Amino acid sequence: MTDFLQVLAVGIGDGAIYAMLGLGLVVVFRTTGLLNFAAGELAMFSTFIVWTIWDLGVPLLLAMLGGMVGGFLIGVLLQAVAVRPVGDPHERPLAVVIVTIGLFIGVNGLAQLVWGTLDKDLPPLFGVDTVSIFGVDVAWQKIGAVVVLAILAFVFYLLFQKTKLGLAMRAVASNSESAGLVGIPVPTVLMLGWGLAAAIGTVAGVFTAPGRGLGSNMMQLTLIFGFAAITLGGFDSLIGAVVGGFIIGIFSSVVPQYVPGFEKMPLAPAFLLILAVLLIRPTGLFGRKQVSRV
Amino acid sequence: MTTEPADPPVDVATEPPASDHTDVPLAVDTVTDVAPELGSPEVLSSAAHGFPWVRAAAWVVVFAVLIILPFTMAEFRVEQMCGWIALAIAACGLNILTGYNGQISVGHGALYGVGAYTTALIVTNWQWPLLLATVASAVVCFVTGLLIGLPALRIKGLYLALVTLAVATLFPLAIDQFASFTGGSSGLSLTSPEMYRGAIRDRPVRFDPPGGLASDQWKYFIFLAIAALCFLLSRNLIRSRVGRTLVAIRDNDTASEVSGIPVSRVKIIAFGVSAGLAGIGGSIFALNSGRVNPSSFTIAVSIYFLIAVVVGGAASIVGPAIGAVFYGVFIDIITPELPESLKPATPVILGVILILLMLVAPGGIVGLWKVSMHKLAVRRARSSAPVT
Repeated sequence: MTDFLQVLAVGIGDGAIYAMLGLGLVVVFRTTGLLNFAAGELAMFSTFIVWTIWDLGVPLLLAMLGGMVGGFLIGVLLQAVAVRPVGDPHERPLAVVIVTIGLFIGVNGLAQLVWGTLDKDLPPLFGVDTVSIFGVDVAWQKIGAVVVLAILAFVFYLLFQKTKLGLAMRAVASNSESAGLVGIPVPTVLMLGWGLAAAIGTVAGVFTAPGRGLGSNMMQLTLIFGFAAITLGGFDSLIGAVVGGFIIGIFSSVVPQYVPGFEKMPLAPAFLLILAVLLIRPTGLFGRKQVSRV
Repeated sequence: MTTEPADPPVDVATEPPASDHTDVPLAVDTVTDVAPELGSPEVLSSAAHGFPWVRAAAWVVVFAVLIILPFTMAEFRVEQMCGWIALAIAACGLNILTGYNGQISVGHGALYGVGAYTTALIVTNWQWPLLLATVASAVVCFVTGLLIGLPALRIKGLYLALVTLAVATLFPLAIDQFASFTGGSSGLSLTSPEMYRGAIRDRPVRFDPPGGLASDQWKYFIFLAIAALCFLLSRNLIRSRVGRTLVAIRDNDTASEVSGIPVSRVKIIAFGVSAGLAGIGGSIFALNSGRVNPSSFTIAVSIYFLIAVVVGGAASIVGPAIGAVFYGVFIDIITPELPESLKPATPVILGVILILLMLVAPGGIVGLWKVSMHKLAVRRARSSAPVT
């Protein structure tokens, strides 16, 4: 039993990270309707920015805030320069996929160019200590991840439901043409969406780095888990990203431990979930059905 | 320069007479706007009027160069070119699926890997003739493709890209998982047992060349012949009835269904054929390098295929081959010249090229070529038209 709780705790901690990245993916999907395959690489890049600031002697928390600002600016810039000019993701899906993949390899290469190919060490934000809960040793870092996720989710909720900017973002997501006609600056809102997503991705990166080593490929698995989370939760649902993140985290921690044939493939259960959800219930648990006029 | 009548005067002849005052600028617009998304609907064009001398001459030159090249180059260069051939075949397969049929796959690296491992296992464990192993890889991947094509019927566009991306990421992990017969992360060598001084030992597989040729040159010619066959078959497929339905489904699947096209069947077949070609490419990769290991089939490989297709020109037959050569020259010839600290600049440049292409020239190199040929044709027509 203790073993199981231990595995469960690891899953919850990982799930919080997937949920963070998932929140960013949902924000981008809601505003621009596209799946951002470069989200992981952007998170990796801004985590390197965090490392650089931290390396100068700044406390890690402040460095993370600095990295979030950096990530925000990069996200805004890339959206304006590369993503927006390509056009509507649902009319030109291949072109949009190619552009995000171009960003994927470009940002990955850029990180290697700037920071070299050797992994850096980023310490855990909440230290290396553990606390005993019901006889299970849980790292503060895991608990911290859940707490930070809760804060981020709450901030996003406030932003989307209680502010004018959030209203504008929801309007653009539901119908960008009409939103533009009533005076919402649609391009700016889309840019902000990318910026926000990149900023929250930074946090996911800061939590991923200590376990995996800060290198240019560290977010690629996390990205797939993040996508699995939002597929399960529903591509346009913030709460879905959080719930989906935890389910995926627990699944991919428990299954490899107890099911023979999955030991080295934590991704496999997540993949099977993605496939099942897309086949059986493409809107996910919390998503809304997309209706299009033919 | 594939299937369309390239002779500019022929194209002009199909346009309304240029003497009409408004038609010429219109012709330019229709030419540049043809692509619904990427590439162009050149499939539908009929054979050229008269014998296309220029085109035939161009092909003769291309083949002459391809045949002479291995005699002028060092062995390692020839091996690299064999790698480009593998890439070109796989990209040709991806193009059928993604370029012509509009189903986006970011996971063809996994199918390539399945092809490579199939060949490696068959050759090493059962000592089949090497090319028979290639055929087996094609069949295994064709069936795998049909199986993947089934769920893909319900999953479209960006979501299909997502699922295939997950497949690509999963493949190296699965190889590691089933290490008992895949060799895990250390990989497999393609060997066959032979008697050597009274003892049995494993020697790396190779193609035994007929007299006068070096082993690498012979290998190159075999692979080149396979590639030529694959491209020829793809060209015929695309020009056939099936090819036209592929494009029709890409452009509007509802309308295709209504017109009586068996959309599901065609989409599944497209996946199978595409996967089969990726398998042949993978098999050639394995035979060329003599070993396979999971790090050769990461997500990056799937991305290379997309680069080859998009840079060369999606929805054109020779596009992926041109793209593969472009990519090969970039990675194997230009990158090694860079100083060590600047090597990561290669993916940055590739990424920028991809994005720029999507913004400026979604038809890739072939698309640029076509647009410029048409512009030339229009200019000629203008200058030769009687002034009214």
